[in-house]
Amino acid sequence: MDYSLKRMDDPGAAPSLDEQVRKSVFLGKLEDLAHHAVNWGRKNSLWPFNFGLSCCYVEMATAFTSTHDLARFGSEVIRATPRQSDVIVISGTPFLKMAPVIKLLYEQMLEPKWVISMGSCANSGGMYDIYSVVQGVDKILPVDVYISGCPPRPEAFLQALILLQKSIQSERRPLSWMVGPQGVTKTPALSMRDARHADRMAATDLRTPDDV
Amino acid sequence: MMSSAVLQEAQPTGIVGELYARFPGEGLVEQATADGMPTLWVPASKLLAVMKTLKRELRQPYRMLYDLTAVDERQRQHRSGLPPADFTVVYQLLSIERNADVRIKVALSGDAPCCPSVTGLWLNANWYEREVWDLFGIRFDGHPHLVRIMMPRTWDGHPLRKDHFARATEAERLVMDQARVEREQEALKIDPAEWGMREVAEDHDTMVLNLGPNHPSVHGVFRIMLQLDGEQIVQAVPDIGYHHRGAEKMGERQSWHTYIPYTDRIDYLGGVMNNLPYLMAIERMAGITVPPRAQTIRVMLCEFFRITSHLLFYGTYAQDVGSMSPVFFMFVDRQKAYDVIEAITGFRMHPAWFRIGGVAADLPNGWERLVREFLDWMPKRLKDYEKMALKNTILKRRSVGIGTYSTQDAIDWGVTGPGLRATGLAFDWRKARPYSGYEQFDFEVPTGNNGDVYDRCVVRVEEIRQSLRIIEQCLDHMPSGDYKARHPLTTPPIKDRTMQDIETLIHHFLNVSWGPVIPAGECTMTVEATKGLNSYYLTSDGGTASYRTRIRTPSFPHLQMIPYISRGLMVPDLIAIIASIDFVMADVDR
Repeated sequence: MDYSLKRMDDPGAAPSLDEQVRKSVFLGKLEDLAHHAVNWGRKNSLWPFNFGLSCCYVEMATAFTSTHDLARFGSEVIRATPRQSDVIVISGTPFLKMAPVIKLLYEQMLEPKWVISMGSCANSGGMYDIYSVVQGVDKILPVDVYISGCPPRPEAFLQALILLQKSIQSERRPLSWMVGPQGVTKTPALSMRDARHADRMAATDLRTPDDV
Repeated sequence: MMSSAVLQEAQPTGIVGELYARFPGEGLVEQATADGMPTLWVPASKLLAVMKTLKRELRQPYRMLYDLTAVDERQRQHRSGLPPADFTVVYQLLSIERNADVRIKVALSGDAPCCPSVTGLWLNANWYEREVWDLFGIRFDGHPHLVRIMMPRTWDGHPLRKDHFARATEAERLVMDQARVEREQEALKIDPAEWGMREVAEDHDTMVLNLGPNHPSVHGVFRIMLQLDGEQIVQAVPDIGYHHRGAEKMGERQSWHTYIPYTDRIDYLGGVMNNLPYLMAIERMAGITVPPRAQTIRVMLCEFFRITSHLLFYGTYAQDVGSMSPVFFMFVDRQKAYDVIEAITGFRMHPAWFRIGGVAADLPNGWERLVREFLDWMPKRLKDYEKMALKNTILKRRSVGIGTYSTQDAIDWGVTGPGLRATGLAFDWRKARPYSGYEQFDFEVPTGNNGDVYDRCVVRVEEIRQSLRIIEQCLDHMPSGDYKARHPLTTPPIKDRTMQDIETLIHHFLNVSWGPVIPAGECTMTVEATKGLNSYYLTSDGGTASYRTRIRTPSFPHLQMIPYISRGLMVPDLIAIIASIDFVMADVDR
């Protein structure tokens, strides 16, 4: 909130009526407000499903521990059952033998639910174009955020979580099956490669690997 | 290379001589291999007799079935002098008394080959033979339950056969619709009778519980089917294959050099330590001598990864037996170790930083300070953890006397590494067959007494201290010199002389374009990995890629032992046992 200190006896100190109204009366649509509040609640209490497939899960678990401290984002409450969790992180390789299990676990999660695909294998099969690996988990589930890396750093996982929070904030889901239009509206996904292209191209000094 | 591979004329000595003497004129053929391991071809009809002799009748017998695998020989060019075969089953046995190995091969022919099962001699042959059946389609006569182990039951074909497709993109596009999910789920259903789960008493029923493949305490995608009498385990049947990434098939497609990153992801907590046995096998076949500086850098990095892996074990183990805090402290230490690893290699978990003939780059300026800081940091933390975890009464009550097995049991089941040492046997590959210069280091081999869950933890904690000692010696005595061998097959080759003469330029060009060509031959190299003995058995057919890459991992036999040590215990004890084994599923299913 904007404020400044003024002398009491200064005649110009009293705010005008307009200003007083602007400061103390909130004008807005109840519907927007309700969506905003609900989304704010959802994005700050994303409970992840305790689910890991392979190497990436180790880096995901690292993000849960003290150094990276996922609790700052309200996501430290790991749930052991899909029915209590909001987000499933496909951290690792989606194996062919595991695919029906992943699909079933996803279906057991309650709406609203989100999917983060963590690492190259989950994104596209990555370096495993091999008979026993599904070429990207998006062949079987809808994905909200993709994290690149093999495995991605814990910081990348945190960034994905922040991106997911942003996207949840701007999302529109029906407040009830009785209220408003049904169906989910999401903002189009953002390509980080495009968003950062200019900065990356502007870099001229790269750190040498010869020094620590 | 292979024309002189058969040594029928020379008078064989050692174990081969002993077997020749016991089986005269029975068609045994010795083969020379790059690793110098005694290798003997045995006719299928004589297999069981030879194996029985090796396991039971010799003085100082070969009691451990270390590995059992197969090779599809149908497209192999360089095999003159060897018995004709379409498929070969390869057995590798280990004698701890002799500190020696022997490799037995059986030649099989036809499209539906069949071989006698050795499950009557070795308990751990069960899973190995199932794996060979699954991936090669070789039947084993006398196997108690020969069903698929890696691939889903709905799968058609045997993926490691040369005529089977390798890429997922070569197969039909995957459709995981409701019907498919239902079909696959149906195939995963437990049939109690199939796994020998019979009712134990007249007056009450037992319960079948499915644990996994996604469960917080099974450490990855691993499933155990449990038959419970109340909370007591009557039968535990592990079910694996959910993490099968086809790493062995991948070895036949990638060049020798570009396969290195795949090895990192086998024991994904072991990082560069996985590169080592693979590269040692290539270097032996190629005749490359690794310079002392490169060897010492390798040892130092391997020990760093042993520490990070053991710390993860320590934390998750404490968590699995009910102690929440230690894992948070230990991950901070892991972070510190990764800071050093990252400064040196440029990556955290899977640096793939070792190269054929050395390492990727020299150590960066200032590495000594980072390593020294870590060495100063770690010991006092370990001391804290002793109070926090090891001496904790609850942790002790949950783990002392649970999941006990003897040294004899461990050898019967093919258990190696800390799980074997916890039974009191000081068998460490770094001491038994020193590699990469380990003979020059001063360290001890920690052992336990009881072979229980608690001892397996204590041994690993002590190993962290020994690894710190080794790293300190690397720091104090890092040799100078090259970080990569000056050999034409070193990849990528040293560039400084390429502009001096055409010969070096040609070698350089070929090695960086299609990759090195490794002379035909066979070689197994083993290291003491974080979880036990890890071997790569490579077959080169004189090409730019391996003809067959066999990865013998420690976790595979360790999991096979679970039913044996958990029978009669409670479900929470099973969780403690699983934690104490310290496996990662990539190390089981590859």
